[in-house]
Amino acid sequence: MIDRRSLVRALGREELADWVVIEREQELAVVEEVHRSELRTRWQLTVHADTPAGRGTAHVMVDADEGDADKVVEQAAVLARLSVGPAWATIPPSAPARVDLADPTLATGEPLAAAATIARLIPRRPGAAIDVRVTLLREHVTVQARQSFHTEWSATLARVDALVTQGAHAIAVAREARRADQLELVAGVDEAIADLRRLAAAGAVVPGPCAVILTADALLHGGLGVWEAFVTQADPVVARQGLTRYHERAPIAAGADAVAEPLSITSDGALPFGVRSSPLGDEGDAVRKFPLITRGIAAGLALTPREAALRQRDPNGGVRNLIVDAGTWDEKSTPDKTRVIEIRRLRGLEIDPYTGDADLELALSIDRATGAPFAGGTLRLDLIDVLARAKRSARTIRRGPYVGPAAVLIERADLI
Amino acid sequence: MTITRRELLEGLGLASAYAFAFGCGPPPKPARRAPEEFSGEVRAWLRDAVAAIHGAGLTGHALAVSRTHTVAAQDVLGAGVNHERADGVVLVARDAHGRREQITSDLTREGVAAAARALAGKATPARIEFGPPAPPAAVPKPDPAQLADSALLDSVAAIAKRDGGLSSRIVYASGLLEVDDAMVWSIAEHRDLEQRLYRVRRRITRIAWNGTRPILSEVSRAWSGGIHDQTFGDDELAYARDTALALMTPGAFADGDHALVLAPDVVAGIIDAATRVLWTARAARRPEIAARFAPDKLIGSAAVTLVDDPTVPNAYGGYRFDDAGELATAVPLIDHGKLVGRIARGRRPGHTGVLEPMPSHMRFAPGSSESALALDAGYLLEGHRNVLVDPASDRVVVAVQRALEVQRGQRTGRAYADIELVGDLTTLLGSITDATRATRVIGLRDDRDGLPRWRSIEAPWLRARGLVRARRSQA
Repeated sequence: MIDRRSLVRALGREELADWVVIEREQELAVVEEVHRSELRTRWQLTVHADTPAGRGTAHVMVDADEGDADKVVEQAAVLARLSVGPAWATIPPSAPARVDLADPTLATGEPLAAAATIARLIPRRPGAAIDVRVTLLREHVTVQARQSFHTEWSATLARVDALVTQGAHAIAVAREARRADQLELVAGVDEAIADLRRLAAAGAVVPGPCAVILTADALLHGGLGVWEAFVTQADPVVARQGLTRYHERAPIAAGADAVAEPLSITSDGALPFGVRSSPLGDEGDAVRKFPLITRGIAAGLALTPREAALRQRDPNGGVRNLIVDAGTWDEKSTPDKTRVIEIRRLRGLEIDPYTGDADLELALSIDRATGAPFAGGTLRLDLIDVLARAKRSARTIRRGPYVGPAAVLIERADLI
Repeated sequence: MTITRRELLEGLGLASAYAFAFGCGPPPKPARRAPEEFSGEVRAWLRDAVAAIHGAGLTGHALAVSRTHTVAAQDVLGAGVNHERADGVVLVARDAHGRREQITSDLTREGVAAAARALAGKATPARIEFGPPAPPAAVPKPDPAQLADSALLDSVAAIAKRDGGLSSRIVYASGLLEVDDAMVWSIAEHRDLEQRLYRVRRRITRIAWNGTRPILSEVSRAWSGGIHDQTFGDDELAYARDTALALMTPGAFADGDHALVLAPDVVAGIIDAATRVLWTARAARRPEIAARFAPDKLIGSAAVTLVDDPTVPNAYGGYRFDDAGELATAVPLIDHGKLVGRIARGRRPGHTGVLEPMPSHMRFAPGSSESALALDAGYLLEGHRNVLVDPASDRVVVAVQRALEVQRGQRTGRAYADIELVGDLTTLLGSITDATRATRVIGLRDDRDGLPRWRSIEAPWLRARGLVRARRSQA
């Protein structure tokens, strides 16, 4: 069995420029038909090796039952020396972000009991059947680096996957949060039941030009939903190769800085109880809040220690929770003389990481003029452009790694 | 537009820049006892655990795995080998109130005993009859324990050497040999089983630029057995090369309803997605699926017959017993268009993940057609990219890399990149009029929560009809 001491000792014997060891002691509990309990320890090892040709880096995931720390470190060192790129020097470490990640009500006691408590938060509604799986992860993370810093923290993360069934239809609801009271399960289930009623009455799609309102479940399909388009644009490697759609300090789309309420997005890895919050990144770099887009202008990139050093900046721990500035749009007001479609749920969302072009397969929508629900249809959107110009609601929500407007209005689209 | 080799590798899933290295020499292989050497000890620990669970008045099942994953790869710049190893134990205890599972990665006497205590407390072990011990699992040839990294690399290099016709237009070429070696033990009352699952995948990739877009071509083979049991034929090497070099036809693709030939990799993608999303016991809990896919319902043409058969010898997704400890049997799913069964048997990602109904080795029955291109006018769709199957409706969106125009049974030379087939799944299955006699086997390895899932599909070329359209701008 590997332990931290043996790994650190083995690292000391290699001629490495820098290294970081992250130990994650995890308790995982799953409650559904079966109650499942798992104990595991996971290690992440990052080593940097300097050679005359430059610096190489290796990231290795190690199981605790891996027999020999010396061999693991030796293998990581070989990997690092074989992946040499331009030389860079480690930036002196900054203080870890101060952030609370553990819900006291989930962090103590039997993990299965805590997971079962979350399962009981699911409301029971007449006429609706709900299948639930609750996954609770508790972890204690210890980080040790060559530059002699040592830090540790505890975290909890709960995930609920529910299948809500009523009549002939079902809707899957997924929620993730570090605190049980941030899961918002009652609202999630009730909205699903309301949409199930609409699905039962849904008609066929009528193609044509329209304005589109993306409501929360469609906006955040699969996690960050349409906002994921901006995450890949902040990849520094892609940006360095000139493959991003826009460049730092330039508008993200033509005229994006001149609209009435320009778009601003911030990555906040220090958001209290944020599902992607962490004091340190996977390479031991301090996580920081930084702007991705400020009033329509590209403002920042996700910087690993390597990318930060190459740019002579500070690392920021990468894109974490997304904070999107709210607008002033009242969700009840819609454009005149235009057909307006309110999209409730998506079947699928595919985003081209380089161009931001997206295919949205619609599951449930409502024609605002008639109030008639319909199922199906496809939208093809240039997400960067349409979200730069979209009207954002004044009402905000916090869900998983997202804090921002509950809905957006896209004034020109073509439903096919 | 440029793409770095690291991005390309990551994008293709050939290797992780974090976990894989190419270069002047492979890293040392960790020392490890061969699974058959400690099989007796493991079975004794698992029997003790099951006896302890029964002693607490519960019914027990113990599943353990010791597995390795080895990838040898060679590309335009070099070659390398990567090794991963994982052990795991799943103890299951059942009573009238339900089922509990205790999982540990500590495959030692102490680790198994601690997991058993978590389920059974300090109960006195019961006397259990386990039945006759399992016969030793057959060791593949060559014996994986005796295989040096250099032998794996030589095997990859030998294929590269045979492909002499590489053009300077090919900007990237790689070969890959991936080996999963899993020793699995399953112990319960009257049941003492073990199996060695040795899964091998070979893949070659060729990429050439076509205007501003890279054209990727891959061929792969997947089986269970020794690493030398299968290799690529010259025709497969030529196919990979020629497909990458083929020039795409400029201009817009004519969206519309067309007669189609679906290549086996596209068929496999559709069948895999549909099976996992629609035709499992878990999926049937959704009322939409239960209604649309009721037993004996006609969901395809008479040319559609599908069986999930883990007993097929040397199948990549095959096994002797599943992760619930049940012996493998063939399960017919669709018989001449009629839905006759569902996937209900339990498999665990990595053998230790959450039990879920999963297909093993799916066989789409071949037809009588000798020619894959028996089409008056239409398109051959090949190069599976992605399939969306919506459980709530019949909607299917099949993204493919290429649509090749066919007229009077011959390719016209017109080829269009980045195409999708959209429509209703039952309409698509109902439009299938014929299948070729020849089939291909596609092995799939993906992961769930970081744990691997293996399955395979044997599929012919299919004649069908559907709405085909360009996915985005053809620029």
